[in-house]
Amino acid sequence: MSKTPRTLDPVILGVVLLLTALGTLTLYSAGRDTPHHALWIRQSVWNGLGILALVVVSRTDHRRLTTGSLPIYVLGLLSLLVVLIIGHTVAGSKSWLSLGGISLQPSEFVKWFALLFVAHRLGTKPPDALTGWDLAGAAGLVLFPMILVLKQPDLGVAMTYTPIFLLLPLLRGIRWKWVAFGVLSFTLIATVAWKYKLKTYQKERVLTFIDPSRDLKGKGYQVHQSRIAIGAGGILGKGYMSGSQTQLNFLPVKTTDFVFSVWAEERGFVGILLALALFGVLLHRILTIAGEASTATGTYFCAGAAGIFGLHILINIGMVSGAVPTTGIPLPFFTYGGSSTLAFFLALGVIMNIQHQSRLK
Amino acid sequence: MVLALGLVYAWLQVVRRSELEKLALNQAVKVRTTPAPRGIIFDRNGNRLVDNRRALHLVIQQEDLPKDPAQIEALATAMEQDADQVKRRIQTARALGTKRSLIIQDNLDEAGLARAENLRARFPFLSIEVAPRRVYQGDELAAHLLGYVGEVNQQLMMNEPGRFQLGEIVGRTGFEAARNDLLKGQDGQRKSLVDHLGREVALFGLQEASPGESVYLTVDSGLQKIMMDAFGEERGAAVVLDLRDGGILAMYSSPSFDPNAFLGHMSQEDVDKYVRNPTQPMLNRATQGLYPPGSTYKLVVALCALEKGIITPDSVFTCHGKKTFYGREFRCDGVHGTVNLIQAIAHSCDVYFYELGSRLDVDDIHATAAKYGLTELTQVDLPHELPSRIPSRAWKAKYGKKNEKKWYAGETISVAIGQGQNGLTPISLARFYAMLGSKGKVLTPHLLYGSRDEASQLKLTPPPKPRDMGLDPRIWAALDEGLYEVVHAGTARESALPGVTMCGKTGTSQVTTFVDKAHYRTLAKQFRDNSLFAGYAPRENPQIAWAVVVENAGTGASAAAPIARKLNQYWFIDRLKKPLPPPGGKLPDAYEEGADEESDAAPAVAAPVASSAPVAKAPAPKADVPRERQGERQK
Repeated sequence: MSKTPRTLDPVILGVVLLLTALGTLTLYSAGRDTPHHALWIRQSVWNGLGILALVVVSRTDHRRLTTGSLPIYVLGLLSLLVVLIIGHTVAGSKSWLSLGGISLQPSEFVKWFALLFVAHRLGTKPPDALTGWDLAGAAGLVLFPMILVLKQPDLGVAMTYTPIFLLLPLLRGIRWKWVAFGVLSFTLIATVAWKYKLKTYQKERVLTFIDPSRDLKGKGYQVHQSRIAIGAGGILGKGYMSGSQTQLNFLPVKTTDFVFSVWAEERGFVGILLALALFGVLLHRILTIAGEASTATGTYFCAGAAGIFGLHILINIGMVSGAVPTTGIPLPFFTYGGSSTLAFFLALGVIMNIQHQSRLK
Repeated sequence: MVLALGLVYAWLQVVRRSELEKLALNQAVKVRTTPAPRGIIFDRNGNRLVDNRRALHLVIQQEDLPKDPAQIEALATAMEQDADQVKRRIQTARALGTKRSLIIQDNLDEAGLARAENLRARFPFLSIEVAPRRVYQGDELAAHLLGYVGEVNQQLMMNEPGRFQLGEIVGRTGFEAARNDLLKGQDGQRKSLVDHLGREVALFGLQEASPGESVYLTVDSGLQKIMMDAFGEERGAAVVLDLRDGGILAMYSSPSFDPNAFLGHMSQEDVDKYVRNPTQPMLNRATQGLYPPGSTYKLVVALCALEKGIITPDSVFTCHGKKTFYGREFRCDGVHGTVNLIQAIAHSCDVYFYELGSRLDVDDIHATAAKYGLTELTQVDLPHELPSRIPSRAWKAKYGKKNEKKWYAGETISVAIGQGQNGLTPISLARFYAMLGSKGKVLTPHLLYGSRDEASQLKLTPPPKPRDMGLDPRIWAALDEGLYEVVHAGTARESALPGVTMCGKTGTSQVTTFVDKAHYRTLAKQFRDNSLFAGYAPRENPQIAWAVVVENAGTGASAAAPIARKLNQYWFIDRLKKPLPPPGGKLPDAYEEGADEESDAAPAVAAPVASSAPVAKAPAPKADVPRERQGERQK
C-alpha cells in the first residue's frame, strides 16, 4: 500500500526548528537587562505564526499559488508604493507599514512574490524556447520592486533581491560574454551609483569596510566590537549568557544585525561550525528539492530561494565577522524581525509543497 | 561558501583568540583609583589649620565629552566663557584620555548649583561630581608655611619619575609639599566590571583608600595671628622659635596670599593679586628672603672677636662719631665716647665694631658664622629654603664680578656692622639668636610636631637633635648682658615689656645711600632702611627666640622691635590668660569664617572621588631674592 508522502519535509523541518530554537535562546540572552528583554517572546509569536503559515502553505498546491502569482506580485508592488507614501521610518529607511498595531516590512515579502512570479513566467515556457527578451522581462520584473526598495532607502533588503537575477544566466548556461557584460555593467552601475546615487551613510559603510579602523567610534565600532565578541568566544565559547561583550552591551544592535556575534561569543567556534552545518544542510536540501521538482517553476523557485537564503546567511555572517561590508540584512531564524521571519517560513512552505508534489508522481 | 565563512571564523576564534579576548577584557574591566583624603593639619593646640570639605563641581565625564562644535559653543555662551578656550579644553581632555572628568566649573556654591542644574537640563552631557577639597582656615594666616595643593604638574612628574601618577593631587608648596608623603595617604583601588557606557555593573575588588596622617604643627595659631596683625600692610617676615626643640611657633611672611585661591581655576583677579604682584606675595620671605642683617650681625662679629681672644668684654674703644680706616671714613650713628663691648652692643656703636673689623679677617668672621650654623641651610621642613650669604675671600673669588675677585680689608669693616655682602634669611637669623638664647645649641627649626593616623593616638615626632657648640659661659654672659641692655637701656628700650626681660638686638640695614638725615626723610618708601630685631626671652630662662624683618620701615627700634614686643606680650602674658581651646576645636576668634563651612570631622569621611581641577598657573616658588639690598654707611 502506498502511503501519501508527507507534506512536511523532516530534514528541513528539523533543521529549521533547531535553528529557530537556538536563535530564540540567543535572542533571550542578547535582550537580557536591556529595553529589548521581551523581544524573544515577540519573536516566538512570529515563529509560531510562521510555522503555522508553513504548515498551511505546504498543504496548498504551489501551482495554485503560481497561477495566482500575477495578482500577488501586483499587490506587492502596490504595497511598496504605499510604503513610500504613508510608511514610517525606522533607522533612516521608510519601509514600514502599520497594520492594526503590528508593523510589517512589505519589502521582505515582495522579494518572494517577485521570485514566485518570475519562476512562474519562466516556468510556463520550455527552457529552450526562452528568448533573451523573456529573460530581460524577468529581470525587469525584479528590478522594478528593487528600485522601489532602494527609494526607501534600504540598501540591505534591496540587495537580497539580486539572487533572482542569478537564475537568468543559469537558465541559458554560463556564457563568458554574459559574465563579462555582467562585470562591466556592475562596474558601471557601481561607479555611477557611487558618484550620484549612494547616500553618505552608504559610502561611509563601504569605506569603513575597506578600513575598519577609519571610524572606530562610529560604523567601524560595531564591527570592531563584533569581532572582539567573536574572538573572545574562542573555540568552546564563553557559555550561555556569559559573554562580556554581549552582557555589558559593548556589542551593538545585538538583537538584530549582530545577533550572530552573540551566538559566536557564547558558543565559540564549535557553535559556529554547528550553525554553519545546519545552514549548509538547509541550503543543500533546498537545492536537492530544486533538482527533483516536477515543474520548471518549482525548480526555478527553489533555486532562487536557495540563492536568497544563501545571500542572507553569507552577508549577515560575513558582515558580523568583518568579511563583508556592514549591511542590515537579517540572519534567518536568528535575527529579530516579524516580516522576514514570516516570509522565510512562507517560502519554506512553498518549497515543501514543491517537494511534496514531486514525490506524488 | 560555507567553508569560506568557516575559515573567517576560525581565523577570528582560533588564531586571533587571545588577542581579541584581551581586548574584550580590557574594555570590560576597569581599575579606577580612589584618591585618599589628605591628612588634616592642626596647630600645636589642636586647632584646625587645614581641613577637608566636600565640594561640588560641574563636570563632563570622559565618555560624555561633546563633539558637536555648535553644542560646545552654546555651552560656552550659556556659561559666559570663551568658546575657543572651552573647545580647547575639551579637545585636550579627549586627547589625554584619562579617566578623570573635565571640570567646567569648580566648587559650586548654592546659586552655582542651581545654575548648574539648569545647564544640565539643556546640556545632558554635563554632570555634577563630589570631590574632596582642601580648606585653608584663616585664609592668609599661614599661607607660606602651609602651602597649598594642586594637580601634579609635568615638572614634578619629570623630576621624580614614578613617584606621582597623572592627575594626582599633591602638595605644591609649603608644608603640604614638604611632607606630601605623610599627608597624602594611600590611594584605594576599585576593580569593577563596566558596561559600554563606563557604568559600573559589578565590583570585584575593592581596596579602600587609607587617608593621610593628620599632622600637628609646632605653630601656635594665636601667635601667628598676632604676627599677621602686627605686620598689617608692611612687608617683611618674622620667625619665632621654641628654644626647647627648635619648633617654629610662628612664621609669617608679608604680604601673604590666600591658599584657597589656588585650589581651582584661579580668577584673573587672584592671579594679578598674588602671582603677578611686584611685591611677590608668593615668596616666603622667612626662608627665601635674603636681607642684610645690619647691626644684628654685630653679635657674630663680637662672638668671633671674643673667641679669638682679640678683645675681652671689658675692652674699650672710643667713638667720635666716625673713624677712618684704610683711607676711608666710616660713620657712626652717634658719638658714643669710650664704650666697652656691652655698651657698644646696647647702643649699637658702629665704631666699636669697625675697630673689631679692622682687627679681624673676613674669613675669621665667616668661620664663626659657619661654626654657629649661619652658612648652612637650617633644614627646616619647608621646600626651597635659600642659604644665607656670608661673605669670605673664597666666596668673593667665586661669586664676585669679573675683576672684583679680590677681597679688600676695607670690606671687612662694612661686614663687621652687618652691611656689605651679607644676606641672611630671617629663619637663619632667628636660629642664631636661638643659639645665643640656649647658650650654644644650634637648633633645627621645624614644623612637624606630631602626627596621628586614622586609628592611633597622637605620636609626637622626636625633634631633630640640637648641635651643642659649647659656647664659653663667660663669653655667653657678656653677649647676654649686651642684648639685655639693648632692651633695658639701649636702642630698643622703648619696646621694653614690663614683666618680661627681653634680650635682643636691633638692626637697621641701609637700602640706598643718602647724604644726610634731611635727605633720607625725603626718600620714597622703597628706599628707606630695612628694620630688624632679633632676640630671645625671658633672660632668666630663655624659652623663645625670634627674628623680625620689616622692609623699608626705618630703624630696627621703630618697626621691628615693637612687633617683637607684641609677640612677647602675647606669648608670655596674654596667651596664659586664655584657657586652651579644646582639642580638635576651630581656630579662635578671627577665623569663624571657616566655622560655618561644613567640614568633615575625620579625614576618612571625605568622599573618595576624583578631586579638584588642576591649579591654574601655580607658580613654582621662585628661588629669587627680593631686590638686592645693599649700601654701606660710608661717606
